[in-house]
Amino acid sequence: MSTTSKSSASTTAEPPARRAGVIATAVAALAVVVVAILLWRGVAADPDNGSVAGPLVGVMTLVLGALALVGWRTAPRRSWRVVDIVVAAVLGVALGLVFTVWNLGWSPLSNALEFFPPVKGLFVGVWLLGGVVGGLVVRKPGAAVFVEVVAAVVSALIGNQWGFATVWYGLLQGLGAEVVLAVLLYRQWGAVAAVGAGIGAGVVVGVLDTTLYYPEFSAGLKLVYGASAVVSGIVIAGLGGWALTRALARTGALAPLASGRNAQRV
Amino acid sequence: MSTGLLDPGAIRPTVLARSNPVTKLAVATLLAVVLLLSVDVVTAGTAVLLEVLALPLVGLGMGGLLRRSAVLLVAAVPVAVLTVLVGVDSGAVLLDAGPLSISTGSLESGAAVGLRVVAIALPGVVLLATTDPTDLGDALAQVLRLSPRFVLAALAAFRVVDVLAEEWQQLGLARRARGLGGDGLLAGVRDLAGRVFVLLVIAVRRAAVLATAMEARGFGAGEGQGADRTWARPSRLRASDAVVVAGGVLLAATATAAGVLAGTWQLLLT
Repeated sequence: MSTTSKSSASTTAEPPARRAGVIATAVAALAVVVVAILLWRGVAADPDNGSVAGPLVGVMTLVLGALALVGWRTAPRRSWRVVDIVVAAVLGVALGLVFTVWNLGWSPLSNALEFFPPVKGLFVGVWLLGGVVGGLVVRKPGAAVFVEVVAAVVSALIGNQWGFATVWYGLLQGLGAEVVLAVLLYRQWGAVAAVGAGIGAGVVVGVLDTTLYYPEFSAGLKLVYGASAVVSGIVIAGLGGWALTRALARTGALAPLASGRNAQRV
Repeated sequence: MSTGLLDPGAIRPTVLARSNPVTKLAVATLLAVVLLLSVDVVTAGTAVLLEVLALPLVGLGMGGLLRRSAVLLVAAVPVAVLTVLVGVDSGAVLLDAGPLSISTGSLESGAAVGLRVVAIALPGVVLLATTDPTDLGDALAQVLRLSPRFVLAALAAFRVVDVLAEEWQQLGLARRARGLGGDGLLAGVRDLAGRVFVLLVIAVRRAAVLATAMEARGFGAGEGQGADRTWARPSRLRASDAVVVAGGVLLAATATAAGVLAGTWQLLLT
């Protein structure tokens, strides 16, 4: 996580910290280009409609990545205070426990859906809550990634069926949500941002799952799986996470944070 | 760290168990990426075979090993069965029942996908079982150079896992005593959502107190002003870590070579 090097760049006008911020941005930009090229080539290799979809996916990734980087660099109040970091970490741990409960509940639920497997994607939304809730509650660049990764690490350390892979899933799911919040320039924290972040995370998990677990499905079934993952991201992670954050703010628990400040009721 | 939920249990101090957590993460990631490249029985099967042969080196007892790896089947078997039933068919059709069909081709890809899931997850699951959260945190901050503020805050938050797990139990009992929740899927979901919400409220309140306490002890002071942080538990890579990584590379290379030699290895999406 390059978050601190970047946040310290904005708080202190020191040359080393600023240089670290510039380097981090350059690395991120390079990563965007590499991912865009890989996706372009990967999708273009599909014999059916790759010649159209390949460039489309590649250019979309580039544009999204560029917009997200702009959001990242221009975010207001970028530096993290101690209370932001600790609340995000504990929130991640709590959500990691929720993930663990869901890891156990997943098998019977998905077995019940055996008659039409691609619909299983409808249940992944719970694992995407970290990114949305983290982003909305802490309201700092990197919060979605940090909370989701901590939650994934807790879920993996307690012991699940996926091991270290959970950590990478967490990182990428968090990034999916983070990119959308960054494109919104870290200034939108309402239902729209929540749903957008849920979509971002849903797309990521749809792509990951179809690559890792269902590579031998037909393109149609893969699309159904991806779509149900996105729907789950919208409903459970997006709207659910938004409602959760609002309810949290109402209790006053978020008072020390940016998200609690304008939710105070007299 | 001796927390109940995160306690790894008895571990024999083998080279693999004592290697740096970052090394374990690197090996698990390397195997995952290499195995992701192709969906075929030979590569995945060879990898699983070699991994099972390497299991005694992990340092877990027989019981822990079985308990940790049994969950893998929970993930792998349904995926394999699914692929057999609804995956793309090829070769001779053995059974045809509407949308569900079994062919020699889909049987093979089902086996390949199931083996691949096991081959990717097994190293991660058993290596993680011998990883202490504190060692992981130290390694992430000192070896991978992740921001210490974030790593240490996460580590501090990990201490709350057992407290929150206990709260989770209490919440269930309390809701039960008040007559909340009930039977059926819908009531179950509503009950779950209620418990999640209260758990998060407790977590955030606790975090705010924890943050104040940490700040009072100087956590976060001098950050970004070039202040040097010293570490109570140094974490560094040793020669044995190179051996472990080499073992991982060898395993991945052998599995891929077996697949290529058998002619079944095919790059994903090509």
